[in-house]
Amino acid sequence: MESNPPKIVCFMCNWAFCEEEMHVPYNVNIVRVMCVGRMDPALVLETFANGADGVMLAGCKPPDCHFVDGNLHSERAVKMLKKLLVLTGLGAERVKLLLVSPMEDKGFGYYAKEFSEEIWNLGDCPLKKAELASTIKANIDAAKNAASAFRLRVLLGREEELTEFMNAYGEKISEEEFDALLDEIVEAEFIRYKIYHLTKAKPCSVKELAETMGIKPSAVLRHITNMRRKGMIALDRVEGYTPLYKALEVR
Amino acid sequence: MTEKTLQEVRKLPPCRAACPAHVNVQAYVALIQRGKFKEAVEVIRKDLPFPAICGRVCFSPCEDACARVNLDQAVAVRALKRLVADIEREHGRVSAEPVPKKYSDKVAIIGAGPAGLTAAYELAKLGYPVTVFERMAEPGGMMRYCIPDFRLEKFVVANEIAYIKDLGVEIKTGVEFGKDITIESLKKDGYKAVFIAIGTQLGMRLNVPGEDLEGVVNAVDFLRTIALGKQITIGERVAVIGGGNTAIDAARTVKKLGAKEVMILYRRSREEMPALPHEVELAEKDGIKFHFLVAPKQIIGENGRVKAVECLRMRLGEPDESGRRRPIPIAFSEHQYEVDMVIPALGQVAETSSLPPELLSKEKRGPPVQVDPLTMETNVSGVFAGGDIATGPASIIEAVGAGKRAAVSIHRFLTGQDLRKDRDEEKIEETTWVKDWRLLEKKKRRYDAPIEKPHLSFEEARGYLEKLKQKARFEAFRCLGCGPCAECLASMDLCEGDKAVVDEAKCVGCNVCAVICPVEAIKKNEKGVAQVNEDLCRGCGLCAARCPEQAITMKKLSNEQILAMVSAALKG
Repeated sequence: MESNPPKIVCFMCNWAFCEEEMHVPYNVNIVRVMCVGRMDPALVLETFANGADGVMLAGCKPPDCHFVDGNLHSERAVKMLKKLLVLTGLGAERVKLLLVSPMEDKGFGYYAKEFSEEIWNLGDCPLKKAELASTIKANIDAAKNAASAFRLRVLLGREEELTEFMNAYGEKISEEEFDALLDEIVEAEFIRYKIYHLTKAKPCSVKELAETMGIKPSAVLRHITNMRRKGMIALDRVEGYTPLYKALEVR
Repeated sequence: MTEKTLQEVRKLPPCRAACPAHVNVQAYVALIQRGKFKEAVEVIRKDLPFPAICGRVCFSPCEDACARVNLDQAVAVRALKRLVADIEREHGRVSAEPVPKKYSDKVAIIGAGPAGLTAAYELAKLGYPVTVFERMAEPGGMMRYCIPDFRLEKFVVANEIAYIKDLGVEIKTGVEFGKDITIESLKKDGYKAVFIAIGTQLGMRLNVPGEDLEGVVNAVDFLRTIALGKQITIGERVAVIGGGNTAIDAARTVKKLGAKEVMILYRRSREEMPALPHEVELAEKDGIKFHFLVAPKQIIGENGRVKAVECLRMRLGEPDESGRRRPIPIAFSEHQYEVDMVIPALGQVAETSSLPPELLSKEKRGPPVQVDPLTMETNVSGVFAGGDIATGPASIIEAVGAGKRAAVSIHRFLTGQDLRKDRDEEKIEETTWVKDWRLLEKKKRRYDAPIEKPHLSFEEARGYLEKLKQKARFEAFRCLGCGPCAECLASMDLCEGDKAVVDEAKCVGCNVCAVICPVEAIKKNEKGVAQVNEDLCRGCGLCAARCPEQAITMKKLSNEQILAMVSAALKG
């Protein structure tokens, strides 16, 4: 175990806990927001990029939300966030959603301490390790872009509509189906932005990209085809028989 | 941000809209949630000078209007109000600063009941020299002399009135209107405006034979005698006639004083009783019997004393103008109840003898003084009237509402403004978002303020109070905050005026924001661009977090602001 306690940022709902009664460990920094649902996954990723070892989202227990279901919206967002964190290499455990009633016996301090210890046991944040820093940093950038992607946010925003009610074709999507769909899209978006960032630095071939990211060349090619259609990437030149791709300055 | 006046805020949550005094319920419940009990009382005092009194005996129209009933039960607003007011008093109230007299026009208020005291309170806050004239030895009116001690303690009333006195209101007791003072004498003494709030003091008569027998005591007189601390002979078997709160109060009082058997005779059924259901339950617990659908035909006496009440059975017919079903007597259904005391509690009427004849209403039915319900002015210039005298017997909170309206009118009258401008009560709009109840799971929690104080040591009492506070906060958390921003001023630094702003150039009209907004404050307009309704927007920022094109930002807590807070936190 290392000597320094981890730096933890807690985004807390304005209505969740009363300041006077909180006993917060000194390594946990509280940032008040109006509702946990306010937390854009991209903002949480940015917080990691800024040097946080762990991020906690604290909100009200489901029936207590001041904004009807803001806390439930955050639940799905955190699911997506965890997936993105796994992809970036930070690990899903570094983010935690805490939906508790302030009236419970255990105060916020208890949960904060518990989370702080969990993070401590995980060890140093990969971002702080010199040999990993640049890769992780690039990954976080890609994840941030992915979290801001139109496709993902529409899906996330319409989650309630799709799972609770129906889509335009009168179909209802089950929670499991929705989660699977979300996972698929998160992964796809992340890989696309990763490719985008890599090719922006220098033109790359499919094989190179597949090697750096550790995925099958066929999958990379599929994404590249898609990105070319969207105008995110273009053929730069052909070296021998290998085409090299370069990102376009669009988004 | 300065607090908006009621004239400016038209959109109110249901509880505040339902309250005759428009007390900012949502705000103080929000403050209780955050554990700010002192501030909560201050918020109540802005609209209502009697937090502790109303916390005990108000009929709580706010709870009836509460949107939470769609889920489980209304938030126990009255109990919360009582608790915060009690905590403030127990901790020792900091006396109010006298308000400097900004105006020189003297105002006379006749009757130190809820209506008169509220008008005095509001006018004193504006800076008028106010004098309240009261016939009885102590101010408080019906609150002091008609509500028994076990429902409303005298020291509570005294404490609330002391607060009004602290503001600089002069209360002259033992002055009878019509005898010691008249409107002319007041005008001569330099009072520029008069507010008559003498209430309805006489118990209504039964109008059956035998009413003058010994042992028939009207409920109002009975309760007043008790409140004055005088002796009164109590019967062994007592019949209370009527179904209002006064009837319940009289019945419970007489039972507590030692009557062996107390019964309440009411001509309609239980559902139509105007008394608070909670009070009825308590009366039943006290062992009071209820006989429904009976009306007295005559009181039978023996040697000048009451021996029995003869009653007729009733059945319920069509609803009358009050909306309750009219009782119709059933022929030949006479029966007798053996009693030695009868307490009629049918309602009150005003003592019209003290009023100048020009004020009296021409109509036989209805209240004795006719006033404009909006401005409270009578047909005599400079004379206003309100409370029970102008509406017929009603409740404390309605009297408070009347007092407040009268205070506004008197202020406008003395400063020469238009009395009616921008004062439409109808314009107050009940606004809630409540979109889909299915999204919220059902959860039962019910909170009742403890009725009796336990006997505890100092250490225990401390823990007990903490527990109570915790319980109250728990209850307050049930509030859905279903109105627009309550302006509780609880967390100004964070939520003050935070509204979503749409960058129209970026918006693609995907409608995600409209789907996600919990309060339906954002909608696509005819141009196909999202538009924020600032009245409804409560600044949660869900739309900003989900907007696919990031076209929505928050005015105050923007993404950049949050990130700045994060980096400040990580550096520190």
